[in-house]
Amino acid sequence: MVSEEQKESPRVRMQSNPVDNSQNMENLFSPRFKSVAAMAGWDEESILFASLIVEDTPERQFRHKKRSDLHFKTPPSTNTRRKRRDQKKSPISIPVPILNLEEEEELVMKESEKKKTETRIAVDEESKLGGDKLAKDNPDASCSNSALPCMDKLREELSCAICLEICFEPSTTSCGHSFCKKCLRSAADKCGKKCPKCRQLIGNSRSCTVNTVLWNTIQLLFPQEVEAKMASGRKNQKEHRSSERKTNNDLGSRNVRPSRASYRDTTSVQPSRVPNRGAIINRGMLRQDDPSTRVSNRDASTSRDMWNQDEEDTPLVQRLRRREALERLILSREATGRRRRGIPSQDEDTALALRLQREEFMEAFGGTQEQSGISLSSARANLRVMASRAAISIHSRGRPI
Amino acid sequence: MNSQGGISKAGGGGSSATATSSWVSPTSVSTSGKRIQREMTELNMDPPPDCSAGPKGDNLYHWISTVIGPPGTPYQGGIFFLDLMFPSDYPFKPPTFILQVVFKTRIYHCNVDSAGNLSLDILKDSWSPALTITKVLLAIRSIFTHPDPYNPLVPSIAHLYLADRAKHDELAAEWTLRFAK
Repeated sequence: MVSEEQKESPRVRMQSNPVDNSQNMENLFSPRFKSVAAMAGWDEESILFASLIVEDTPERQFRHKKRSDLHFKTPPSTNTRRKRRDQKKSPISIPVPILNLEEEEELVMKESEKKKTETRIAVDEESKLGGDKLAKDNPDASCSNSALPCMDKLREELSCAICLEICFEPSTTSCGHSFCKKCLRSAADKCGKKCPKCRQLIGNSRSCTVNTVLWNTIQLLFPQEVEAKMASGRKNQKEHRSSERKTNNDLGSRNVRPSRASYRDTTSVQPSRVPNRGAIINRGMLRQDDPSTRVSNRDASTSRDMWNQDEEDTPLVQRLRRREALERLILSREATGRRRRGIPSQDEDTALALRLQREEFMEAFGGTQEQSGISLSSARANLRVMASRAAISIHSRGRPI
Repeated sequence: MNSQGGISKAGGGGSSATATSSWVSPTSVSTSGKRIQREMTELNMDPPPDCSAGPKGDNLYHWISTVIGPPGTPYQGGIFFLDLMFPSDYPFKPPTFILQVVFKTRIYHCNVDSAGNLSLDILKDSWSPALTITKVLLAIRSIFTHPDPYNPLVPSIAHLYLADRAKHDELAAEWTLRFAK
């Protein structure tokens, strides 16, 4: 964070009037926007960065187009170009030269530099979104040194003794030991109804339920592991259940089917089931889901979209279905929210709008990418949403750009 | 007493057969193979004292492990090699440990028969999927220090152990010197 600030500061001084910079911070953003930002867990600093990016990006691109067409042959469809650039550049190993923004000739360099800082911010945001202090340790990213020293112990503690991996859908026995639901079920089937840890008799293995608190905690702490396991599970499901796919759609069979299908169920219909979950959890789950769905969507070779894996669909149909699912999800959320409080709260609406927009961005930014690139680009998409709002508020105030 | 030995032999033969056949099955590779691989890395990172284990060749389900006779016992200084077979439904079924007797590493122990089978409760009825190879190796090491004469595979050795401990230890040390050094 410190290095970023150092790098960022000259530009801040350059672009806005140095005098009213600090005051601008206050009236730059509408309170409504701030509330949204707060809900997204963004601090003021990052919002300011976002606004800066918006402030200068459109103009610069415009200038570039006029000045040096050899650099940008493509029309400024910023999204794709940016992404291509970012793919080329590793977001982690970034040299930190001092920017000399006065030189007009160095605009190109500046532009690329800005992209770097943007990805930097994206990395930062990503780690922030990923469960605040509990963010996964990311030793390479210089700014997010929030790695918990006890992460290894947590990993050990949250591992399933049977598969030795992070518990997937943990189920807790009556004696208090937790295992993956699937592992516990197999253990009960094949080794008798004894707790694998303490050999106490465990009850009916058919009725083992997921320990929700533990499961959510695991999802927050180890999103990558959970994601990987989900991906492999989906693949397995595809291989093994190809014959029964057609029946997979109706709710009855979903409930019967225990492991993978039930996860799909919880993700796609989840908000209506657990309506008053914390916003953070919801966002966390969405965030974990989004890259995966996108991977599967584009990477047709490996695995297909988890909502649409039942039938052979064209990408367009898939997209439409996703949109439908999203709208259903939002509607159900809204309905439950209103029923509960009577009056629709403003925060909730803004959060919904934000999420809808995020989803759209997810689609717009989709492409075949590495896993890390996906999380980065999703964070970047978020950033851009926020940034565009900041831009609107700036424009409405008639600030010169 | 004799029946127990018979059971263990039968179990050993059966699961080694399944272990070899399992190598082809893709489903078992995904679950048991993953766990075995994980155990392997854990063993490499934090090996138990005086023990080692690892795959014999390409087959992940066939390991070889060594246990060094713990000091202070008649088995002190001996190096004992064990063949380790994982069943295809590991960890829900126990692995089989067979002391290698082909290369003269015989042992004078009431819980190990002449074919190298071990009688260890956690490798049979008391197996739990939460047990790992590390824990089993520690258990094997502990039967070197504390033989269990009440569940013997070789009753004569158990009798001697209970009747004349000094004589038993002397014989065991002699065998160790002869076969396991």
